[in-house]
Amino acid sequence: MADGLINLTIDGATVSVPPGTLVIEAAKQAGVLVPHYCYHPGLPVAGVCRMCLVEIEKAPKLQIACATTVTEGMVVKTQAPAAKDARQSVLEFLLINHPLDCPICDQAGECELQDFVFQEGQSATRFGEFAKRFNPVEDFGPDVLYVPNRCILCTRCVRFMEDVAKEPVLNVSERGDRAFIGIHPEARLDHPWAGNVVDLCPVGSLLSKDFLHKARAWELDKTASICTGCSQGCNITLDTRDEVVVRVRPRPNLDVNRYFICDHGRMHYRWMNRGDRIEAPLVRKDGALHATDWDEAFARVLAILRGASGKAVALVSAGASSEALAAAKRLLSGFTWTGAFQVVMGEEATLAGVPNLALRAERAPNAKGAEQLGYTRDYAPALAAAKTAAVVLVLDDPDCAVETDGALIYLGTVLGENAACRRAEVILPTANVAEEEGTFTNRDGREQRYFQAKSAPGMAQPAAWVLGELARAMGLAEVA
Amino acid sequence: MTVQEDYQPVFIGKVLEELQTVLGRYPNKQAALLPALWIAQREHGWISDRIMAEVAEVLGVTPAYVKGVVTFYTMYHQHPVGKNFVQVCTTSPCNICGAEAVLKALLAQTGAGDAGATSPDGKWTIVEVECLGACGFATPILVNDDFVENVTPDKVADLVRKYR
Amino acid sequence: MGYPHKSHPKETVVLSQYFGDADARTFKGWTKRGGYEALAQALKMDPVAVTDVVKESGLRGRGGAGFPTGLKWSFMPKEKKKAHYLCVNADESEPGTFKDREIMRWTPHALLEGTAIAAHAIRAEVAYIYIRGEFTEPWTIMERALAEANAAGVFGTIKIHLHRGAGAYICGEETALMNSIEGKRGNPRIKPPFPAAAGLFGLPTTINNVETLAAVPHIIKRGAAWYKGLCLSNPKSTGTKLFSVCGHVQRPGNYEVTMGFPLKDLLYDMCGGPPTGRTLKACIPGGSSVPILTREETEQTLLDYEGCVAAGSMLGSGGVIVFDDSADMVYQIMRLARFYAHESCAQCTQCREGTAWTTKIMERILAGQGKPKDLDLLLDLSENMTGKTICVLSDSCAAPIVSGIKKFRGEFEAYLAGKKQPVMVG
Repeated sequence: MADGLINLTIDGATVSVPPGTLVIEAAKQAGVLVPHYCYHPGLPVAGVCRMCLVEIEKAPKLQIACATTVTEGMVVKTQAPAAKDARQSVLEFLLINHPLDCPICDQAGECELQDFVFQEGQSATRFGEFAKRFNPVEDFGPDVLYVPNRCILCTRCVRFMEDVAKEPVLNVSERGDRAFIGIHPEARLDHPWAGNVVDLCPVGSLLSKDFLHKARAWELDKTASICTGCSQGCNITLDTRDEVVVRVRPRPNLDVNRYFICDHGRMHYRWMNRGDRIEAPLVRKDGALHATDWDEAFARVLAILRGASGKAVALVSAGASSEALAAAKRLLSGFTWTGAFQVVMGEEATLAGVPNLALRAERAPNAKGAEQLGYTRDYAPALAAAKTAAVVLVLDDPDCAVETDGALIYLGTVLGENAACRRAEVILPTANVAEEEGTFTNRDGREQRYFQAKSAPGMAQPAAWVLGELARAMGLAEVA
Repeated sequence: MTVQEDYQPVFIGKVLEELQTVLGRYPNKQAALLPALWIAQREHGWISDRIMAEVAEVLGVTPAYVKGVVTFYTMYHQHPVGKNFVQVCTTSPCNICGAEAVLKALLAQTGAGDAGATSPDGKWTIVEVECLGACGFATPILVNDDFVENVTPDKVADLVRKYR
Repeated sequence: MGYPHKSHPKETVVLSQYFGDADARTFKGWTKRGGYEALAQALKMDPVAVTDVVKESGLRGRGGAGFPTGLKWSFMPKEKKKAHYLCVNADESEPGTFKDREIMRWTPHALLEGTAIAAHAIRAEVAYIYIRGEFTEPWTIMERALAEANAAGVFGTIKIHLHRGAGAYICGEETALMNSIEGKRGNPRIKPPFPAAAGLFGLPTTINNVETLAAVPHIIKRGAAWYKGLCLSNPKSTGTKLFSVCGHVQRPGNYEVTMGFPLKDLLYDMCGGPPTGRTLKACIPGGSSVPILTREETEQTLLDYEGCVAAGSMLGSGGVIVFDDSADMVYQIMRLARFYAHESCAQCTQCREGTAWTTKIMERILAGQGKPKDLDLLLDLSENMTGKTICVLSDSCAAPIVSGIKKFRGEFEAYLAGKKQPVMVG
């Protein structure tokens, strides 16, 4: 233990971990997943499911890996016959009252009960014709349904609400095999971070109403992304099926959002599937907008830029990628440039049990990135300056009410019929966050990358590409 | 199940003073939960959702938390019970001494009918409970707070008369 | 209320000396009988010295585990950095056991005195006596006694409070008891941490049984050597024990005998054996959570910790449940399984589901619908329920099942073969 680490052997592999490490965590280093339900690294240890019982040399009884800290020279065997038997018996006990709901249960395909039963359970039950205990489905609140029959009483949800959200609205009610997760009629599960209990539930007992019966887990493609709901920058996974985003789930990041996302971000994905998209470049000819190809659209933009001088104003969205924002600035570097953005503000909602984690008042993912690139929050002056600017570039802000005597160029995903920017000379269709790869900088200055989950519709392209190509054509390529 | 309830706040005046005394015995308010529930049940007769909410407020915990505790302990009534709440032990040591016959006699002679149900005249609720810790005095029963030992079927009639 | 019997000549009367003597319940009556002298003596001693005396005496926990009391006290932190707590376990709920009730009903001051001495020994400022909710009479008596003793100021700076349970056998488990005092569901805690390190409110705590503490004043007054000398068999089991005899005996009640006393003599001589015309069939010597003994085994058992283990069971709480030949062992074992299923706290999978499943299978057998594989299934479930949970309620459910099937298999098979009239509705 020269370097202060503890050495132990798990399933034959030696690992070295800091003192105080739990056996179940040390096992991960050895590449061993100890089957478990109630344990979760983001929650206090409960030790109730008894699934993670392992054999430890010199210990008279099997020990739970989630509550045992490593000691020097410990020898752990997760595949010892006694441990396997114990796990198999836990699975059998869990299944006796568990309904055979897989064909109609949302969790199928991403269910930890299915996974471990398949891995080491029995193929038949010995429970026989006894009736399983029955309780009706309960509506816990805004997005969460509770199916008591499927519940394995791991208590992750109770511990999350009590210790992480610090609002104990869920309890364990009753005793013995009559127990279920309860809620008091005077309170609903409407905490801004409550949706996490659905992710935490290892089985299909706590379900999202939003996702109910929408898609099968195995139909989903999963892509790493960053939440655009606010400036916290929570890491998420976009689940798509057939080019449609159907669900958002948290991706673990111990430095940003740990294992959680808020309900606002969780529900903030429908806009990614909007059908009313700008699907082709539009240029103004004879007073009206005509769809065209990228070549002609580029040619028009370049003509505008080359034929103008003086002031240029860029009014941008704080949800645009840093790459797009940088390219936009580069593109207008031949002008006296003002870049500005405005951010919708909302109420902050902290997750009390996690430091520095909240649904932030700034409801946009890249305000910090924009600031770092030189864009200002002083929106009103920029809007006023646009009136007399030679060129106004609006990036992905369909509600921008700009009026200008100069040339208006709009890049965005959507644009309403009566939008002010319909007066633009050129309208270029761009990809949204789910359709491109890019970078956001969160409020703490952390640069994070997001990836493409689905195709952009029509001829839409990432704004960073559009602006980058234009800049290159202007001889304003990025300095390597 | 909605039950007719005449709810009046419990923790006011003298009862609140009583609770303050109890609170002085513990280093935090949550620890006074079981005693507070006993007081509430004494005053209100049973622990309803509204009572749970009141206890929660007085102790600074959530109603859901209180409910989790109430449903764990069998002696807190989650619905109204008869004037005489009778607990009959039928665990093995008393069982082999005729406890089930005592239970049957009580159910019949009080008109309660089924264990857990309240008799039509509202005077009796008889329940089967686990070991009451008086196995050598079989069969022991509790009639509200009165612990009665050595009950046999032939003594039930007098018992019922006494408490009715 | 029921009065205890007069002491039998073969009893060793220490704790039970004033059972039935109403005057002994009062503070004046107790002090007249020499009460609170031990406490005064102990309070003048160094806490470590008090612990040493109790260690030397060989006193072991009388709640069921039989852990050496002095040793348990010595686990408390040597350096006093935080508040210490003593919890007194008066949650007596183990089927067959009713001795703590008697101690509280007749000698409440003995318990208070033992509590205060223990609190002094472990340097606890506060002691909670956790009395099960159903013990309404002991509660009232203890309340009165505590008020009197407090008025007399005998406890010095030690504060003793009564805390009422509300109907949960599992709160007799020491960590569940602490959770219950803290105003939580009575769930047992995973160990480590152990109570002496982090117990009640996260602070160093010792939990002792009523009978254990009632013996402490005697040990202080009469000395460790005296207590150690009360031993009929194994020197590791010293002192006296109150055995709660119940079930099919002519004279049920609490009997105090020296450790190592023959169970046979207790049942036949002192309790009069089973009712006339009946024969002893089975006996559970230590509360329902220990293995059942056959008549042969019973008649050979010496009542101390090692003796009961040698006989194939355990001393446990000393709740002696006697079954004669009229008892239906299958039915009674079902009733015990139902007890455990009712009392399971629901944390551990094996216990929550296993106790209920076990009960269902037993009910099925009694309804005449048992399957040939049911006995093997019960034994397999029992093995899966043993040694794998946070507390031993799960193991306790398995004990009567395993010993019952092993020793009374014929009665089970009679139901399975349809030779016995079903006694339950299927």
